[in-house]
Amino acid sequence: MRASTTDRSSPTPSHHSRAAKVFDTLYRDHVDLVYRFAHRLCGEPEAAKDLVQETFLNAYRGFEKFRGDAQVSTWLYTIASRACLRMRRRRKCAPERELSLEEFIPTSDGEFRLQIPIDGLSPEEALQNKQLRDALDTAINQLPKKYKMVLVLRDMEGLSAKEVGTIMGLNERAVKSRLHRARLFVRQQLSAQGLGQEIADPEQALLR
Amino acid sequence: MAKRHTSTKRTRSSTTRHQHDHGKGRCLNILRQLSAYIDDELAGDICNEIRRHLGSCPNCEVFVSSLRQTVSLCRHRPSPSLSTDDRAMMRQNILKAAQIR
Repeated sequence: MRASTTDRSSPTPSHHSRAAKVFDTLYRDHVDLVYRFAHRLCGEPEAAKDLVQETFLNAYRGFEKFRGDAQVSTWLYTIASRACLRMRRRRKCAPERELSLEEFIPTSDGEFRLQIPIDGLSPEEALQNKQLRDALDTAINQLPKKYKMVLVLRDMEGLSAKEVGTIMGLNERAVKSRLHRARLFVRQQLSAQGLGQEIADPEQALLR
Repeated sequence: MAKRHTSTKRTRSSTTRHQHDHGKGRCLNILRQLSAYIDDELAGDICNEIRRHLGSCPNCEVFVSSLRQTVSLCRHRPSPSLSTDDRAMMRQNILKAAQIR
């Protein structure tokens, strides 16, 4: 897949067809993974599709930079994460706030005891409840991007802290620190929502 | 559930208040390490120490349980999949953009 400088400045038809073939395999094998990640980062389908296209376009152009010493999925996660941050900057969003640990420390028994009312349900059963699903999505979407990325990669995509560090250019300690704050934020949002008793009732949950 | 929660809080808060120095001290230390505890990343002795604390501190026990639930919900949150049409359309768009630029 390595191309010479001449190839890049004036690509020949054979270069194009070779690149297209490699691209097709890459796209076929990984588009679902990239879309899932993009949807989790963006929170809605249209923005996620934009991010997928941006990611694969950058991957197409950067084949020669991929040295094969990382997993292809790690490489694509890295490209997608950077593209996501670039798209955010392009939209000129306000700078994001830092999450401090102190804001999540309960100051009363009541705050300590805030619960997510899903006792007795498996996570799959609990997530059949739309109210809970929406509350979870809202909480995750309210996270500042750099915290959200760590939570999505670690807790939703199931990567190790080391892999998340490689993707985001962070050491493991920084990954774990952001992850902890992100989880505390989501926990606080979910438990403070007053989601109601019905979530703990499987029959009600299934009706929704 | 909410009612039960309120009543247990009322009965337990007086018995546990002495164990807590909210925002400081022991519980604060434990809370800082809870993700590492949940992810099983702590050394055995620290783990045992936290386990002992959780056994004697209902507040921290509820807190860790809700944090575990949060992580578990994130892990199991399904994500929508792409339609065949979307997959094909995006592929076309990407190849077109790659030729133009």
